[in-house]
Parts: sequence; C-alpha cells; structure tokens
Amino acid sequence: MGIVIAVISGKGGVGKTTTTANLGVGIAQNGKKCVVVDFDIGQRNLDMHLGLENRVVYDMVHVMDDGISLKQALIKSKITPNLSFLAASQTKDKSVLSSEKIKVMIEELKKDFDYVILDAPAGIESGYEHTIEFADRAIVVVNPEVSSIRDSDRAIGILDSKSQKVKEGKEVEKYLIINRIDPKMVQSGEMLSSEDILDILNIPLIGKIPEDKGIIEASNQGKPIILSKDSAAAQAYTRVSKRLCNEKVDFVDVENHAKGFMSKIKGIFK
Amino acid sequence: MKTKQYSVKVFEIVLEDEEKFISFFDKNYLFFQNHLISIIGERSDRVANYLQEKALKYVFNVDIPKKSTPTQAVIPQTQEKKEIVETKPIQKHLQVLDKLIRSGQELTIDGDLLLLNRVNSGGSIIINGTLIITQVVDGSIRCNGNFMMLQASNKANIVFHDVEIDNSFLQDKLNRVELINNEIVITPVLKEKSWV
Repeated sequence: MGIVIAVISGKGGVGKTTTTANLGVGIAQNGKKCVVVDFDIGQRNLDMHLGLENRVVYDMVHVMDDGISLKQALIKSKITPNLSFLAASQTKDKSVLSSEKIKVMIEELKKDFDYVILDAPAGIESGYEHTIEFADRAIVVVNPEVSSIRDSDRAIGILDSKSQKVKEGKEVEKYLIINRIDPKMVQSGEMLSSEDILDILNIPLIGKIPEDKGIIEASNQGKPIILSKDSAAAQAYTRVSKRLCNEKVDFVDVENHAKGFMSKIKGIFK
Repeated sequence: MKTKQYSVKVFEIVLEDEEKFISFFDKNYLFFQNHLISIIGERSDRVANYLQEKALKYVFNVDIPKKSTPTQAVIPQTQEKKEIVETKPIQKHLQVLDKLIRSGQELTIDGDLLLLNRVNSGGSIIINGTLIITQVVDGSIRCNGNFMMLQASNKANIVFHDVEIDNSFLQDKLNRVELINNEIVITPVLKEKSWV
C-alpha cells in the first residue's frame, strides 16, 4: 500500500505546486512509483509545472463522476516512467468533491503507487479539507515570513482536527519545508531564521530550499528545477526526496552555503 | 560635544478637572513611571505638586514632535471599570496542558490552567481562573483570574480583567500580573538560566 502525502501551506504563492512537482520527480528518480494529484479544482497548475498541459484529456472529476477509469485519466510523465499525473478539473469548482468519492479514488491510487502526493489548494476551505482528509503525512511549505507562518499554523491546526487519521485516534506525520530562503537576507537578519520558524510551528524539518531564479523559467518551460543538477534549489529538492524515501541525508546549511565564487576564494585566504 | 538620542513614550492627557485627573493617576500612576506625561490645559500647581510627589516626569502644553498619529492610550479604561470584588485565591480544578495553541484555535477554560507550550499568533485563550504559561505568548489572552504569569512578545494581545496590558511590560522575562486593591501590578519573575 502506498503512502498518501498532502502538500499544504495555508497561504498561496509559497511554492506548494513547485514543491509537489519537484518532489514527484525526485521520488520517481529514486526508483519509487509515484503519482502527483492536483487538488486545486478550477485552478490547475501542476500540469504546466510538469510540462503536460497538452496531454490532459480526462481529469479527477471525470474519474469520480463520469465513470472514466483511473488508467485512462492518469498521464505518464515524459521525464521518468515512474511518475504519473492526475489533473484537476479546470471547468468545475470545488463543490463537486465529496469525501466518499475521494476515498475510493485514493484507495485505488494507493494500490498502484508507492507514493501518492496531493497538491492542496491555497486557503483552508472545503477543497483543502478534502485534500487532507485521507492523508497519512503532510508536508507543510512555508516562506520565512510571518504571514506565511501564521497561515500554515492555522492549516496545521485544521489538519490536526479534521483528517481521517486523527478521527481514528492516530496522528498525521507533519514535516516542514522552508522554501525561498534568501541566504543574504537571513544573514542580515531581515528574514526569520529557521530556528524561529521551527520554534513556532513545532514540527520536524525535512528540508530548506534556497531562493532560485531558475524556478520561474523551469515552471514556464514545464521542466521542474530538480532536473538542472547544478542549481542549489535542485540539490535541496533532491535531498528532500531522498529523505521522503527513508534515506538518511545530512542537512546542508542553506543559509550560509549558497556563496558566490568570489566569496569562496576570499574564504580560502581568510 | 556629546549627544545622545532616545525614544520616549509620551502619555498625552487633557487636564479639565483636577479631581478626576488626580484620582485617575492615583489608580494608574505605576503605568506611567517610564512615560513622559504631556498635559494639555491650564497649568495647575496642585497637579504639578502631585505628580512630583509620585516621581512622574511631566510637561505642560509642550508641542511634542510626533512622527505618526498617536495610538489611542489603552490604560484609561480602568477609569470606567466597575469595582471588582477581590476574589480569594482559591484553586479551581487546575488543568495542566502541554499543547501548542495554533493560529485559529481558541481555548476556553473554566478554572486554572498551567500551559507548558507556546500560544502562537492568532491563537487565543479565554480563562476565568489563574493562568500560567511557561513559553512565549504571541496570541491573545483574556484572563479574569487572581493572577497570571506569562511572557508575551510585542505581537500579543493581553487583557487582564478587561484592561489591556501594554506588551512592553511583559517582554524578555516571565511576569506576574495580579490585581491588588483594584490596581494591576506587574512584577517580573526573575528566572536564572540554571533554574531548569
């Protein structure tokens, strides 16, 4: 049986979809069968991040309501055969979702895949609640700024009260990704430090992703950044994917790591 | 030439009725020990002597340069407050919780509470008993108990017996806030590092 991971954040624009796309590719490259599901009904984006826009024929709502089989709706990624994608409906809205139908669909996905990654919509409305309902784990994506942290704090609170696992008396494992860290701003004290964020949210850290200008271009072209090996963000996503596959990977000090060539040379002469 | 620059907290008050003025400061003078009191109105020797006696710094009718619009002073609420009958310190079914109060979570408690975790920004606790929180408070607290003991950041909103408490009194260390003879008294609780 596969593991269901929901990628949540509360606030929009912090990088949930980017994270989902990159972790999906990363996990698939580790040799696990992985499916990424876009739960943002009415505003699908994940297809573009994966470069699969033109391949979407059937979406999640077709599977749940119109009797289309999962096999027909799942799209195999060009990047790696281990990765599949299930699109959200672009024409419907979140009111079409219902718990029973989602449960059936997720159970079926769990049979075929090792990892089922759900990309949650922003906000804490019904679309979000349906995403977390059947999740075994959650990845919380935050930016090092106060509003993102407060919103994800709220999202974690809802996760802890409304998910199926919690209702059964178990706990959903939660992991934190701090996204878009600008090393310069952290060093000068303008950005919140990781320690402060961990102190507030009180969940274990699974990765820190540095800010990377290449990410915008990568999602425009439909090639997740994890594929360009020399980027700092790609390396960070690779490490997180390995950790999700239960590999032990040491944490890299992203805040102080991403130094330029010149400062490295200066460092030698210090 | 030696120069220094300071930011000063100014409490501006209009002097209309000397009696009212003095009775207000009788209740609240403790809050203004670190403030400069700017009085607008006719200079009165009685008021001046009174303030000197209480060791408060004051100026009469001085146009103080202000950067932004002043915030509404919150302390004068005590003036309209009804007489509070002091309750005897009886312990009411004490609860001990080690739970992070996250944004959007509201804890309503009838009795006393010892909380061993944080209260995050957006989280809130409403309690009619004594409250002790051992970690930093970023959220909002409404407490009507005998006393509360907490440390709050500048984001927090702390109300004790319907009086909003200035966060600057509660920072850096654990503070004990209690009601003695209708006055709110805040005493820092000194905590050595080796206390653990």
